[in-house]
Amino acid sequence: MASISESELRLFVDSVKNYFSVTTRQEPQVTSAYLGSVNMQGHEFNGLVSFSGSYNGHVIVSMPARMVRELLLLQHETNLHEDNLLDAVGEVANTLAGNARKQLGAGLEISVPLKFQGHLNDGQGARARLRQRPFVITLRWNHHSALVCVDLESAH
Amino acid sequence: MRMLIVDDSNMIRTRISRIVSNGKLGHIALVGLARNGVEALRIAKASQPDVITMDLTMPEMDGLPCIQAIMKILPQTNILVVSALDDKATAIQALKLGARGFVGKPFSDDELQLALLDLMEK
Repeated sequence: MASISESELRLFVDSVKNYFSVTTRQEPQVTSAYLGSVNMQGHEFNGLVSFSGSYNGHVIVSMPARMVRELLLLQHETNLHEDNLLDAVGEVANTLAGNARKQLGAGLEISVPLKFQGHLNDGQGARARLRQRPFVITLRWNHHSALVCVDLESAH
Repeated sequence: MRMLIVDDSNMIRTRISRIVSNGKLGHIALVGLARNGVEALRIAKASQPDVITMDLTMPEMDGLPCIQAIMKILPQTNILVVSALDDKATAIQALKLGARGFVGKPFSDDELQLALLDLMEK
């Protein structure tokens, strides 16, 4: 098994930029990309999509509540209850994962998103699933910070 | 025109409902909102929609088998796939099963409106 390459990681950077540009017309700034750890804190609302087939692993989108609310409001969504915030962050993760398949190949199988509230290092699912050193992309959008964690390896 | 919206995300279902209700597409009556393929099939059988927007990755029943099942019972239905799985192989598979259009996620309001207009003119 091999870790993903820089160009494969770049797919997720481009995909997250494209997501915000298309849905809100405001492109986020990518503030850093680094090798993280399973102890990273992340934010309150999280969407996790699992990969299998030609690649194994997960992508996690982690956002603070205020950011998800703004994302919904910009789409004229008025239901800002926690369930809907979780739904929204799950849909962002699902979109990033789905878009990645165009470049990573149709042999990549994608799960429906798992959504959870609480920090990534709380032990509610994410921590147990992550390898020791996942890739972390941090971004800033509309004065809010968020992160995308890409923990993926080629099955070949 | 009767429409069914199928997506496991409430955010997307609500957004598509808003886009189709703004009057630019003419009068569209929403016959239902479905969270997965099983619900979609049940609503489609009961209300026979003219147009369906269909997500692909969903719990219980994915979009592709759902398209196949709907085409067997309602072959005249216009199905527009709206999915993040926007690779060529998936799009071709959906079209072969009977879908008549494909919009990748993320999408803008204008993109979806144009795709629906195109579909309704077919």
